[in-house]
Amino acid sequence: MAKPGYILLKLVEVGIIFFVILTALFFLFRLSPGDPISKMVDPMLTPEDMAHLIQQMGLDRPMWEQYLIYVKNFFTGHLGVSFHYGEPVETIIWDKLKWTILLFTTSTVLAAFVGVFLGKIAAWHKGSRLDNVMSISALVCYTLFIPWFALLLLWILGFQWGLFPLGGVLTPALWISNAPLITRILDVLHHLMLPLLTLFVINLGSYLLLMRSSMLSVLSEDYILTARAKGLSEKVIRNKHAARNAALPVITSVGLSLAFSINGGALTEQIFTWPGIGKELIFAVSNNDYPLAQACFLLIALVVLCANLIVDLLYAWLDPRITY
Amino acid sequence: MLNKYFMLRFYKGWQIFIQNPLGKTGVIILGVFMVMAIASFFVPLIDPMYDPMTGIDPDIKLSTGPSLTHWLGTDNVGRDILAQLLEGAKVAFVVGLSAAFFSIVIGTLVGMIAGYAGGLLDASLMRLADIIMVLPSLVILLILASLFGQFNIWIIVFIIAIMRWPAVSRVIRSQTLSLKHRPFIEASRVAGASHVRIIFRHIMPNVLPLAFLYMTFRVTAAILVEAALSFLGFGDPSQVSWGMMLQWVWKSGHMFQAPYWLIPPGLCISLLTLAFYMLGRAMDEVLDPRLRKEGQSG
Amino acid sequence: MSLLSVENLSIGYQTKKGMLKAVDHIRFDLEEGDSLGFVGESGCGKTTIGMALMGLLPENAEILEGRIRFQGRDLVLLTEPQWRQVRGAKVAMIFQSAMNALNPVFPVDEQIKEAIVTHQPDISDADLSERMKQLFDLVDIPLARMKNYPHEYSGGMKQRAVIAMALACDPALIIADEPTTALDVIVQDQILREIKMVQQKTRTGLIFISHDIAVVASVCERICVMYAGQIVETGTRKEVFKSPRHPYTQTLLGSYLSLDNLKDIKVPDMKESPDQLTDTNECRFSGACPSCDRKCAGRSPEWIEISPTHQAFCCNPGLIRRGHGKN
Repeated sequence: MAKPGYILLKLVEVGIIFFVILTALFFLFRLSPGDPISKMVDPMLTPEDMAHLIQQMGLDRPMWEQYLIYVKNFFTGHLGVSFHYGEPVETIIWDKLKWTILLFTTSTVLAAFVGVFLGKIAAWHKGSRLDNVMSISALVCYTLFIPWFALLLLWILGFQWGLFPLGGVLTPALWISNAPLITRILDVLHHLMLPLLTLFVINLGSYLLLMRSSMLSVLSEDYILTARAKGLSEKVIRNKHAARNAALPVITSVGLSLAFSINGGALTEQIFTWPGIGKELIFAVSNNDYPLAQACFLLIALVVLCANLIVDLLYAWLDPRITY
Repeated sequence: MLNKYFMLRFYKGWQIFIQNPLGKTGVIILGVFMVMAIASFFVPLIDPMYDPMTGIDPDIKLSTGPSLTHWLGTDNVGRDILAQLLEGAKVAFVVGLSAAFFSIVIGTLVGMIAGYAGGLLDASLMRLADIIMVLPSLVILLILASLFGQFNIWIIVFIIAIMRWPAVSRVIRSQTLSLKHRPFIEASRVAGASHVRIIFRHIMPNVLPLAFLYMTFRVTAAILVEAALSFLGFGDPSQVSWGMMLQWVWKSGHMFQAPYWLIPPGLCISLLTLAFYMLGRAMDEVLDPRLRKEGQSG
Repeated sequence: MSLLSVENLSIGYQTKKGMLKAVDHIRFDLEEGDSLGFVGESGCGKTTIGMALMGLLPENAEILEGRIRFQGRDLVLLTEPQWRQVRGAKVAMIFQSAMNALNPVFPVDEQIKEAIVTHQPDISDADLSERMKQLFDLVDIPLARMKNYPHEYSGGMKQRAVIAMALACDPALIIADEPTTALDVIVQDQILREIKMVQQKTRTGLIFISHDIAVVASVCERICVMYAGQIVETGTRKEVFKSPRHPYTQTLLGSYLSLDNLKDIKVPDMKESPDQLTDTNECRFSGACPSCDRKCAGRSPEWIEISPTHQAFCCNPGLIRRGHGKN
């Protein structure tokens, strides 16, 4: 069912929130101690280059004009020049974005599917030994400290057993030597395994617990009794009537827990030297590369908001009760 | 008399709480960490070399495994790992509890005001909460750290609290909304009580149990964020925390050589957050009679 | 032979304090096309009887003794797969809270089709849509609304859809458990007429459960009054409604105030409900009975016949036969 009004409303909402974040960031950069010029323009540049950049970003103009130029520059894709790379930041972060999206979507989707499946089973066998084992393990997964867990995986699976590479995203030799595409894809997947496993395990716990409690509350609903009274088999009741309703709140919570997953994603990228936005942000912050840090932050905010939007639309599509 | 009633209610709640396996395990783990935190005050008194930050064993120049003098071994400059671990417990409690406390104070105030006032104030406060809720707190802390330089522990605590109130305020708001039209609130309004008095005298006592429940979950979040920040090298450099210990293992390249150094700090972070989380789940069952009944009937 | 005959049925719930007997030695018969109403306050065991007839007792409930003979089979002995053949096909149920009885994420017609297809997997598409049309006509829902989702229906329409679902496979017995409680009075009236009309048209056996004796009397030919897990009075609608004999029935009718006879009827204070945990042969109503006297103490109640169709369960035959406190 198409719900164009609803989609439009959500888009406007996301646009407004992003604008608020954009504005807040502008003022943070201007109000923090130190001179804004030194934050946006690399002091190591030649005076001519510096003058050009200052002019481009309007750093010599009054505050309100600076703000308008900042907004304009953002929408035309000019986010400044990185101190460290000496290149426009937009080209740097676009290159990183694909790796973050690869890691993020695979781990979230996998964890959500497996978590929902296992949560369903745990709730169905509530109070059994299987349920207890699954719930406790999920609780442990959920509270694991991500960097520590990542380091343990790296140490055991990567270093001790040598199953996976210790970091990076590709083997340089393979890419220089013009290997066939399938070998390259397998190489990337091989590098993906450890960071993927880390994020998968952490997210799995929360999805399992959510699905379990959601399923338990759905199972006490009257329409489950109706389904039983129709003479449906237990399997149909569980998989068709209960699971679909129970999965709805889980989908909402995917949106709410995105912030949590982004934190974990940045830490995971950092430990496995996965060249994504999170690692780039940490690098930029550690090296006082302000334009790069600002761009990474804006991109992360944009990714979070878009993911939230997707979750909202998915929810609206699955729940017939939402109509706008 | 009122106090007696609350004591009784508290006692009954505690009875249910302690019978819950999750709650019991949580309390036991917390107890162990509490003992560790208290011990951290006494360990440096035994010998200055057990000071977690400055105590260097003169005989040891590099990281060594467990021994009689250093039960968990030492780090690469000869500092005692156990002493650091005990100090870390103290820091984790301070960070977790104070950040959680500030965030429930902010969250409860905002939630009560939004729910009680309604209208535009409610809508704008809740939109603000929505925005903050979708922002990843660690990323925000990193950006702020890059702009303002290294933070001390209290500023970190305060920023975590600022980032973490929205979930609390949402729950408190809906609770306030349901209380707002109860007869006893309406009656006191008719009797001429001021808004401030109604909020603090009548609404607050009724939402506080819920706020405390949420506090345990906030503790978990705060400990994890502080540890992650320290791990990335943006923690308070004058405090030994578990996250910082992990950073030292990692940055000094000992993570593949010194499991006795790698395992304890991360295990402590994970266990402490697990304990608080269990506590929260158990409290959830005490406070939610529907859940309790379900548990009883099978 | 009757369609349904329940003999000596006792059902208990395992609770923390011990076994609670929710249904205690119940017996009744139902002929084909007949209607029987159960009335009593909440917790008297009437819903438990309905659930037992559907094989849907909760996990902590247990049939302690007795038989449920239905079309020549003892339902108590059925295994779960056998039950699934019966449920929805031969015995169907209209539930207490129609508001949530339909699954919110599926269209209504799909949920009703599901009931048919489950029991007649070979049905052709043409037959299926023909049957659906019949059903929606029968319960007066416009065919155009068939594909709607439950939230697009009004409360009355939802309840009609639930009735259609119960009728889907042409069952021999329908159990209606408080089917109109959540509805407003006018809709309630329509639905009751609907149920009665459909029941007479299809010659289905009906068991109607309600706390409201007036509602039961408007639908059913015969009425059983229940108290604390036991049937205390049974008779035709006229007998029970016009000349109630058991003190509890009189209390029940008395609490149903009508202006003409307000001064004739004493509404006794209902004391606490009896303890159903202990097994006793003594009268369970004695604690609350307005007519209980010293003679009742230590005696067990017995069935007293007033007419071949009208009986009451009491320790005081004289009282019952006299028909005191005339209404």
